[in-house]
Amino acid sequence: MGLVMAALALFFVLPVIWLLLAPSKTADQVVHNWPLSFGSFSQIGHAWSHLMSFQNHAMLKWLRNSAIYSGGSLILTLITSVPAGYALALTRFRGRTTLLVVTLITMIMPSATLVLPIFLEINQFHLIGTIWSVILPFSFYPFGVYLVYIYFATSLPRDIIAAARVDGCSEWQVFAHIALPLARPVIALVAFFSFVGNWNNFFLPYLVLPNSDQFPVQVGLNQLLSSTPSFNPVAGAGLNITIPELALAIIVAILPVLVLFLFSQRALVSGMLAGSTKG
Amino acid sequence: MTLVAFQPTSKGAPSRRGVKPRREGGIASYFFVAGYTVLLVAFGIFPTCYAIYLAFTNDRGQFAGVNQFSKVARDYRFLPAFENIAVYLVMWLVLLVVMTVLAAVALRSWVRPGMSSLLRFLFYLPGALAGVASVLVWLFMLDPDVSPAGKLLRALGDNSFAATLNPSHLPVIFVLIAFWTGAGGWIVVMYGALNNIPDEVLEAARMDGAGRWQTARQIQIPMIRKWITYMSILAFAAGTQLFIEPQLLQTASLGRVSSTWSPNQLAYVYAFQQGDFNGAAAISIFLLVLGLACAGVLVTRSALFKLEDQ
Amino acid sequence: MKAFRSPNRNAGARPARAIAVLVVVALALAGCASAKQSTSSAGAGAFKPVTQDASAKITVWTDSTRLPEVQQYQKLHPSAKLNIVTYDGGADGSTYLQSKIQLFDRAGKGWPDVVFGSPTDVTWASQPTNPSAVPFAAPLDESLVPKATLDNFAKGSLSPCQYNGHTYCMRNDIAQVVLWYNKTLLDGWGYQVPTTWPEYQALGLKIAKEHPGYLVGAVGDTNSQESYFWSSQCPAFQLTDPTTLRVNLQDPRCTRTASLLDSLISAKAVSTQGFFSQGFAKDSASKVAMAYGPSWYGQYLFNAAFKTPAGQIAAAAPLTWPGDSSPATGNVGGGLWMISSHSANLKAATDVVTWLTTSDANQGSAPTYPAYGPAAKTWLANPVNKKYFATDISSVFQQAANEVWTGWSNTKFSDATAWSSIVLPGLTSGKSLTSLLPSWQKAISNEAKVNGYKVTNQ
Repeated sequence: MGLVMAALALFFVLPVIWLLLAPSKTADQVVHNWPLSFGSFSQIGHAWSHLMSFQNHAMLKWLRNSAIYSGGSLILTLITSVPAGYALALTRFRGRTTLLVVTLITMIMPSATLVLPIFLEINQFHLIGTIWSVILPFSFYPFGVYLVYIYFATSLPRDIIAAARVDGCSEWQVFAHIALPLARPVIALVAFFSFVGNWNNFFLPYLVLPNSDQFPVQVGLNQLLSSTPSFNPVAGAGLNITIPELALAIIVAILPVLVLFLFSQRALVSGMLAGSTKG
Repeated sequence: MTLVAFQPTSKGAPSRRGVKPRREGGIASYFFVAGYTVLLVAFGIFPTCYAIYLAFTNDRGQFAGVNQFSKVARDYRFLPAFENIAVYLVMWLVLLVVMTVLAAVALRSWVRPGMSSLLRFLFYLPGALAGVASVLVWLFMLDPDVSPAGKLLRALGDNSFAATLNPSHLPVIFVLIAFWTGAGGWIVVMYGALNNIPDEVLEAARMDGAGRWQTARQIQIPMIRKWITYMSILAFAAGTQLFIEPQLLQTASLGRVSSTWSPNQLAYVYAFQQGDFNGAAAISIFLLVLGLACAGVLVTRSALFKLEDQ
Repeated sequence: MKAFRSPNRNAGARPARAIAVLVVVALALAGCASAKQSTSSAGAGAFKPVTQDASAKITVWTDSTRLPEVQQYQKLHPSAKLNIVTYDGGADGSTYLQSKIQLFDRAGKGWPDVVFGSPTDVTWASQPTNPSAVPFAAPLDESLVPKATLDNFAKGSLSPCQYNGHTYCMRNDIAQVVLWYNKTLLDGWGYQVPTTWPEYQALGLKIAKEHPGYLVGAVGDTNSQESYFWSSQCPAFQLTDPTTLRVNLQDPRCTRTASLLDSLISAKAVSTQGFFSQGFAKDSASKVAMAYGPSWYGQYLFNAAFKTPAGQIAAAAPLTWPGDSSPATGNVGGGLWMISSHSANLKAATDVVTWLTTSDANQGSAPTYPAYGPAAKTWLANPVNKKYFATDISSVFQQAANEVWTGWSNTKFSDATAWSSIVLPGLTSGKSLTSLLPSWQKAISNEAKVNGYKVTNQ
């Protein structure tokens, strides 16, 4: 059993270590030296400047785009999903169960399922190439609604709400003054899942954004791969984007998510189990 | 996190429906759900309907019956794409279920707590590289010239990147990539689920003389069976939608990997190279039905989701 | 759960049944229309430029190889406003450009003004991507580029650019296939340079025996089929009329090449890895005694990638088959430049393309052999282009440029796709080329049918 665990650990960790070490070497060293050796810090600087000079700081542009898309849709997701989850959990209205069932079904369907239909729709409405073609579909986040719903349904005593109504609070006041302040943990949870999912999303922006200035960083990585000599040694002979630069680009591209991941293991568990973890 | 769990094992609470129709929230409820409902209609329901509409018509807007479906199904790339996905899914599900359950049980009962939390963290970390990043990393892992496992690859007879990308290896490669990014998260979740089993239950088993294997087989695994099903169905549904992995390998291998390896890629080719949106929609419908079926089964047949409050 | 489901069961079932009934009725009633795509009416009227703005910034999409040339243009023309973007250049059967133009057409904006592409790209760029779109490539012969300039291009080099009587691109370079060899090695071993394929085969087998490890060729690249099968006049991509493609790989002119290569592959004189595959330069660069390939192998492959010292590499005329009436050779790539019909600054765009393809300043020292006649003369006269080689390559290049076989057609799909995805993996796993010909033929035929061609295998 110990052996299996060690093998698993090696399988999961080795590529990460390789990735972190690669930018410190020259392209030549990556091929010829021991794969897990460390080159030098100054080489990381070289790799960085090569990467930055690709298409005039395209990498920074892509990172900024990713931040706009993920950030913008995060805000919209929170604005729409928190009240919706609250209403589903603590109010009664016609169509509530239908809405809940449809939410569950779309939540379980893999996000890639609807990408092509969404593309066709966006095309129909002439939104191709606008930032809304990414932000709006990203903002639709049924899983977030479900998390909020579960949270309110299980942890906010209905009596408090009833009491507040008796006291003459309007529905909006109940939501804003009682429910919302209690929802902080679940908001963090939704934010984590939404941000990570959108930051790493590739398929939708790949389809709806034609212009490389608009790419988020994930699609940019693909561009970097296809227009550089890292996998086509001769075609891109004029460019300095080789394996170390590509490795550095990967690290930079996932850095925000990586940072979140460092602190979010428990969030993942509670989100997926939508519930209690002891200790 | 103070979410009070609904236990996977709990039976649906007695419904309030029928006791007394209550109107809490009234009109304001519609206001609360309005924004989300608009998004749901715009990016859930409408695209589905629009795809169905496109799949049943041709590019002149005429009703085409099932002709689009039979057209794409007769395409010489259609069956191979679905075959590829099928092979991949079988391997992926078996590996995922066996390894995550095994690892979770081991981490819960065999490994010291400190070690266990370190290992969980290490397993879980590659999840941050989901998507393009993971494929790029694995492109390097699969190239015997730069891979830290280069010796292993050569020992398996893969002396060059091109040899590693032999078509028959592709499902294994995609399974490895998916496992690397996805399994850690599931191991952590399974571990969490195992943690929900009260210590007294395990203690009682031990008193009865059950060994670790027996405890695992007879108590722990049955008690997280629902989560295993949940994971399998989600993994299955996601697996049918494979796109980035073969697409990037196609680019990196300079075309050795077919550009229509997976059904989603085929739909992409239909839309963007052949300009045939109706055919693309028909393929999407095939995939949509798969996704919907999985979701439907999970939502209605398992007690995992809470549709009524306690 | 049960409590939740039961009240809804009837409600849920009713619409479902209604829909089912509707579908059945609809199917029964409607004479179902065909699922075939409408064919866009070709040559949709005269070219109408958009409103022009002489100060508009133009976007240039180039492959990374041509990037320095575009940057050079910018340097020499500081007032030109360029936005330079690198992409894969349509190499290796990539469909990146096509997908993106589809999207721009749908978006109605965003098109690059100038793009570098492959001959395959012109086949779709000269036609609308959907019935309401305008073909992406602007017809250059209509008022943009003087006829005299177009007439100066090497004979036949603009044929991939032509469609329906108009010229949609300017060819950057010709990539005529010649026999490259390492003169130092062959002289040292005392071997004659072959002039026919049987001689090439015999020499290859001899080298394999006497100097194991040395190579006389490689077939593992995405374009190796153009070096070998095109040169052999194999009817793999032969348009007998604009809509009928002849794919007959059992033709003796295909099988002779396949079996010749098979013998050399099994003797390990020809590598199944590509010259351009990763690791090749590292492992075998110094072991290449001969290479059958395009004119740009000299600078790109031997000089840049293999770093073979100057004065060793030489070129010889294309090999011939005994019995063939006329000499023939292949063509590998030969990029081209297109101008967008949507460009708001056609003048600036035309100026860039004209400079890139015809000016002595650029083409005279280009790494590839210019398609533009006068520039080719300058190129051949420029000592810089020749000093790397052991012999004067001028006459070889000129001869080969005139011998490119015209029976390998420019189709709507790349000839690299089937080769890369079917033949190359087969070769890598140890199958023989001869045994792979049927599946290669099938793959090409399938692809042709999907792209709307009638296929004949005779």
